[in-house]
Amino acid sequence: MSEDMATPFDPGEWTDAADPVEAIASEVFAAMVDGEPGHLQPRSGPAPEPDDGLYAWVDVHGATRRRVLLTTERETATALTRALLGLSPDDTVDDDDIADAFGEVANVVGGNVKALVPDPGDLTLPEVAPTRPPAAAGLLHAVPFDWRGRPLVVSLWALP
Amino acid sequence: MKALVIDDSRTMRRIIGGILRPLGFDVVEAENGQDALDALEAGLDAELACVDWNMPVMDGLGFISAVRRERRWRDLTLVMVTTESEQSQIVRALAAGAHEYVIKPFTPDAIRDKLQLLGLVDLQETA
Amino acid sequence: MTITAESFGFVADLVRRRSGIVLEPGKEYLVEGRLRPLARAAELADVDTYVRALRADPRPSRLESVVAALTTNETSWFRDLEPFRALVDHVLPELLAHRPMDTIRVWSAACSTGQEPYSIAMVAADVVPAGRLRILATDLAEDVLERARRGRYTQLEINRGLPAAHLVRFFRRAGADWEVVPEVRAQVAFQRHNLLDAAPAGGPFDVVFLRNVLIYFDLATKQAVLDRVRRTMRPGGYLVLGAAETTIGVDDSWERVPVGRGALYRTPARRAA
Repeated sequence: MSEDMATPFDPGEWTDAADPVEAIASEVFAAMVDGEPGHLQPRSGPAPEPDDGLYAWVDVHGATRRRVLLTTERETATALTRALLGLSPDDTVDDDDIADAFGEVANVVGGNVKALVPDPGDLTLPEVAPTRPPAAAGLLHAVPFDWRGRPLVVSLWALP
Repeated sequence: MKALVIDDSRTMRRIIGGILRPLGFDVVEAENGQDALDALEAGLDAELACVDWNMPVMDGLGFISAVRRERRWRDLTLVMVTTESEQSQIVRALAAGAHEYVIKPFTPDAIRDKLQLLGLVDLQETA
Repeated sequence: MTITAESFGFVADLVRRRSGIVLEPGKEYLVEGRLRPLARAAELADVDTYVRALRADPRPSRLESVVAALTTNETSWFRDLEPFRALVDHVLPELLAHRPMDTIRVWSAACSTGQEPYSIAMVAADVVPAGRLRILATDLAEDVLERARRGRYTQLEINRGLPAAHLVRFFRRAGADWEVVPEVRAQVAFQRHNLLDAAPAGGPFDVVFLRNVLIYFDLATKQAVLDRVRRTMRPGGYLVLGAAETTIGVDDSWERVPVGRGALYRTPARRAA
């Protein structure tokens, strides 16, 4: 199941009218990736399924079990890695660098999403893969973004 | 001045190291609390340790507790840098002996501000 | 992106003059993003239209809103540290000793989004008995005052210079944000005020924080503002300026009191007849 098949979002799960997942992702990118706000903007429509995608996620094991997933093109994840590490376009980045960096972004977003609910429990170590992670029970919420014009989706899933 | 940067993410170690070096710190990296303790045992004379919470082998809380049990490491300033942002977690970290706490995501200024509070750097303007 | 080079230049110049922060070309994204909510609130089509409207009618409150929108992340808690230490170590104990029955009144002028007055309240919490401290916090722009009243800050804002021990004691999580606890919010009254006008009600003040705002004014206006501030203060009251600011060369009616590497400025104490 991809993020454009979301079930309606239940605002009762959150304590605020504004979308906290959007706020968290914006802060993470503003602080660590871009050094300033404004480069990560919500998209109006759903993002297309990536051609050459990269997926990074962390799971929350507490009173409820959830997954925070980041979905983007591999090329975007590469640019993200460069931005995060302050590298120039000439510096080489290998698959390990990208997995570590993209995973860490998922970790920081996930860690903050975890804090939104009471009794949140533990966060798993980030995982990064070229295919969608298995075993999600249902999509709870998806926020499609444009990061410097490239699609990137932050989604929240229930785990069985 | 030497700083220990302890985080299982290579990316995070590079980011934090990149903030600390221009402030005059020699940065030593460790992947987990145990490796960091081993470095201290081997004689590393660090003034600052930036510690993640969730790490394999020995987590940040374990490292902080171990350090604070030893008189010889009394002068090591301990700053937790972590995604754990629940009130109760911060209280736990401070109770275990962390001197300061930075929640991820952070900006370079946030780290500098904390180091200023701790008296480890001096970035003040004066009239 | 709607902002033209000319509009960007105007905004960058304004921000630089008011805050010292330099927005180089390449930062158009930042200006566009930060001013978009202001343009929307003003029901204007886009940021460039908003800036052009601003230039045509440059009201101080609107200029302040623009500067605030672009410099908000630069506001930190316990800015410069030393004035707050001085408050706890010298100023508040002295005031409490000399006037054991009175309320201590503090004015935070140009309080922006509230970090300064709340920092004052936090640092005074263990020194001044509850109910004996009143803080008046003023600023020119109503929208920053609204934010300040709510006392709600993002993770990034909370990371700026706030000791972790204060965070757990004086804040509670609110969604993805942190909110100042009601006991601290209750000590601060926020009010719109222009420093060029007569002093606000709520004095006479024992302590006035007037930090990094005199830089906006020319010498004559600085002197007028300092004069008005002094008249609203008790004898022997303390003025706190920004770390790089001084009354020396501007107004010689203040006594400079060295504190750490900086200074506080005192109004003349009343002498017994």
